[in-house]
Amino acid sequence: MSFSRRDILRASIAGAFAAGASTLPTRLLAANNTAKIGMNIPMTGDYAPWGLPGLYGCQIVADDINAAGGVKIGGDSYNIELVAYDHGYDTEKAVQGYKKLVLQDKVKMVMMLGGSTVASVLPWAERRKMLTTTLLPSDITPDSDYLIATCESHPLYNVTGVEYLAEKFPQAKTAAIVTNNDAEYGLQSAATYKAAFEVAGIDVIDVNLHGFDITDFAPIVSSVLAKKPDIFCMATSFYVTPLMEQLFHQGYQGKIISCTLDYYDEIIAKTSREFVDGTIFQFPDFDDPMLNQPGVNFPNPGDFDAKFRKAHPNDWSAVSWEYPAILLNWIEGAKAAGSVEPTAVLKALKSAKNPEFVFGEGRWWGSQLWGKDNAVVGRWPVVVVEGGKARIKEYRSVSGWLDKHKDVLIKHMKELGLRTV
Amino acid sequence: MELVLLSIINGLIQGGFFALFAVGLVLIFGVMGVVNFAHGELVMVGAYTIWLVHAQNGLGYIPTLILAILLVTIIGLLMERFLFRPTRNDPLAGLICSIGVLFVLQVAATLVGGEGPSKQVPPPFHGTLVLFDFLRIPYQRLFGLGISALALVALWYFLTRTRFGWALRAVALDRDAAALQGININQISMIAIGVGAALAGLAGGLMAPLTNINPHMGHNVIITAFIVTIVGGVGSLSGAVYAAIIYALFHTFVTVYFGGTVATICGLILMVVVLIVRPAGIMGVRVSE
Amino acid sequence: MPGKLKKILGGLALLAVLLVLPHLLEFHHQDLLIFLTINVLVVSSYRLVTLTGEWSLIHAVMMGVGGYTATLLFKNLELGMWFTLPLAGVVAAMVAGLLCFPLFRMTQFYFLIGSFAAGEAIRLCWIEFVNPFGGTGGLSGVEPPLIGGIDFLEPVPYFYLTLAVVGLCLLILYRIEKSRIGLTLHSVHWKAPLAESVGVDTWRYRALAFIIGSFFVGIAGGLKVHYLGTITPNQFGVGFMVFILIWVIVGGYNRFYGPIIGVVVLTLFDESIRSFDEVRPAIYGAVLILSILFLPMGLESLPARMRQWMGRASAAASSRMTDG
Repeated sequence: MSFSRRDILRASIAGAFAAGASTLPTRLLAANNTAKIGMNIPMTGDYAPWGLPGLYGCQIVADDINAAGGVKIGGDSYNIELVAYDHGYDTEKAVQGYKKLVLQDKVKMVMMLGGSTVASVLPWAERRKMLTTTLLPSDITPDSDYLIATCESHPLYNVTGVEYLAEKFPQAKTAAIVTNNDAEYGLQSAATYKAAFEVAGIDVIDVNLHGFDITDFAPIVSSVLAKKPDIFCMATSFYVTPLMEQLFHQGYQGKIISCTLDYYDEIIAKTSREFVDGTIFQFPDFDDPMLNQPGVNFPNPGDFDAKFRKAHPNDWSAVSWEYPAILLNWIEGAKAAGSVEPTAVLKALKSAKNPEFVFGEGRWWGSQLWGKDNAVVGRWPVVVVEGGKARIKEYRSVSGWLDKHKDVLIKHMKELGLRTV
Repeated sequence: MELVLLSIINGLIQGGFFALFAVGLVLIFGVMGVVNFAHGELVMVGAYTIWLVHAQNGLGYIPTLILAILLVTIIGLLMERFLFRPTRNDPLAGLICSIGVLFVLQVAATLVGGEGPSKQVPPPFHGTLVLFDFLRIPYQRLFGLGISALALVALWYFLTRTRFGWALRAVALDRDAAALQGININQISMIAIGVGAALAGLAGGLMAPLTNINPHMGHNVIITAFIVTIVGGVGSLSGAVYAAIIYALFHTFVTVYFGGTVATICGLILMVVVLIVRPAGIMGVRVSE
Repeated sequence: MPGKLKKILGGLALLAVLLVLPHLLEFHHQDLLIFLTINVLVVSSYRLVTLTGEWSLIHAVMMGVGGYTATLLFKNLELGMWFTLPLAGVVAAMVAGLLCFPLFRMTQFYFLIGSFAAGEAIRLCWIEFVNPFGGTGGLSGVEPPLIGGIDFLEPVPYFYLTLAVVGLCLLILYRIEKSRIGLTLHSVHWKAPLAESVGVDTWRYRALAFIIGSFFVGIAGGLKVHYLGTITPNQFGVGFMVFILIWVIVGGYNRFYGPIIGVVVLTLFDESIRSFDEVRPAIYGAVLILSILFLPMGLESLPARMRQWMGRASAAASSRMTDG
């Protein structure tokens, strides 16, 4: 993929932002073809924060692209149209939604969240050769040709936070991990953190797993704090807020590291700014100046952030920019292929030695762990809360860590009973 | 050692809440003979009221708490008048109706609060009480414990020292005999469900700043209430209170050492064991089948 | 036309309709048809259990026991559907058999709550023990067979397969009900002391109904998982159990076909309100309440009540005529 196409894309979006989108002659828009992109995501229920904000983000990006005249793919201009289906994280509905998107709406690609909802659609998707994206590379199987994870590489990126922590706070020697007990999110994350801690020479003194029906976190936090860990690690983001509250009330003063820290303003409101400052996690706000560095492949992150917060003030979550990044990545693939058809786009994407990755240095990876190199890994930001605001401190290489230590990771995944090849 | 003490205190606080909604359920079943499957949703309505009126719209916590109690009581009274009274002779029908209410209330919560992540209510009482350097109890929890205890004492007083209280217990013991004595069954039923619902609303309001608020939070409440009710003895209110405290302590300790899901599984098995070995529960009166 | 011939022709007509139907529907409704057929087996098997007058709240979980059995057998032992389906039924029946001992010491209210507790405990075990049950995310990767070039993942072939299996099961259930066992179950329901006085062991018959009912719903669970490909604990929770109750109560349970009417009518109704997705549970709740209050004998009683109503109307009309 050449540098110049990316620049043109960025320039046109920037131009649209600057000019204020609405002045294109309708004749120009009407002449465009439409590329329909499906989103089979949870928009309601417990998993909604990892679906709905993604739709909002994609809408912003799609609107901007269309306002700038669409994208040129194989000699034709295409507008991007999003078709969303809410499966509420129910596997039956996910299957129904997927079939509807493919057979009725005739989409060219389906974006999904991941987990059991992806597993339920895979057999059908493979038989129909429909390109599907997920945020969880652990969904990849040796037989899933058409499933790719081009943005989030959950939970591999967690290793960067631990590396940073170990380097900057060498006096922290023990860690406790608290997470959900489900195989898709909690256990995957726990295994990764365990591996990362082992590599960093930090002793994991407790792994506390809890179910989804927990309403009272006081006993869990008490039990963990009784072991006096230097580091409290939250490998899940379903219950970060109540866990942080308990840590605050029970007077914890050690380091806190988490995978996500969604709605951290609320957390600060319930605890205090001093308490939350210094927490390390993995998901930046997009008005962060570090995102304007070269090597980051997201057009105008600051404008995106501003538009998002204006349209949806309380809905920014970790996935707000991830689905758009996947969409942009797909567009690059389509342009390289000169076609929107799933098989062609997949081939174009997979044939790129250095696939475009949102934070740079992308590489196809995954066969050692899941049987197929269908996940893109690269650099990932380490984010720390400072003065009540999330700030990227640095980027670290996930692929670099994996090259050196993937055996440790595989060992820990096997220990927790997770599927590895 | 500190962990044990902290767990005991956490257990007692939980026990207070469990007692509130278990006692409400027992009252309704004892007096009206119907199992209110929607009891968890009544607690949920109490919690949502705090979220909507206090957290989102700024009304003070205490006034909102009173509002929550009133609202849930009204819902309970409506349920009695339109659902339980017509089905009085068929308890299964009453139970099914309460399931219908369960669904309606869950949808109402979804419409009011929107779907999405659980709601959080910032605790109105800040700060933590620190005892002996290691025992830390947030004031919000102490408030919850204190009010639960007060409410239970007030209930005890009501049941043992007032005319209505005596009438309630009479109806629970033998409805026909009570009717023969001139006790107005309709009125007593309404009082029973009114009090039961009020306690549920109070529990919801007290729990709101301490838990995740979402349309499905009632599920755990009803399971806990069933376990406590059965173990304590289906007809017995004091049994429900003792069982609530014991079960809460048990659940808290098992959660600390083995996890929350294991704790609930054990609770359910315990309940089945009690049903087999001593269906009357700890304090219940022998019931002939 | 003699009655029996009418019934046979009616049955054949119904069969013809069912065979042609999937070809007339779009894919999305084809899926719905498959799940509807499976649910017909679920409610019919539940009715057998309720024939003894006891309402259990564990039926949905039993379907899950069958489903998980089929899944584990398929994934670990690579058995095909010919084996996983009957084994799913057998394991569900065995679990039911074990549960008879604790559960059937209780009746009525206690049995209801006890069965609810036992079911919930089993479901929580699926959540807690990630190995082998997969936890909250469940298990996936189950596939239907590929027999002689026919891919049963496609809805139309799978529908025929489901139709055949469910049809056979319904036939067996119907025969059981009409047999001596069925009559004895009825007597246990309506006249338990009397039945006991003639030597009927009510415990045995309650257990029998429970075990047989669980066997068939276990098969239904296997059918479902082989089509859907995944199984999760939440598919068999209180929500689904309540649907079963609604289907059986709204349809009526005095006749064999009552619950079938209930599930068909309500599923169609559910499809028609699909656009009101948010409020669907509330509509169900309202339907439940209204049917309990106003149609306690269920939809199956409608024909009889209508005849009654028309009879009264025509009698009133004729009396007016004679008066006037």
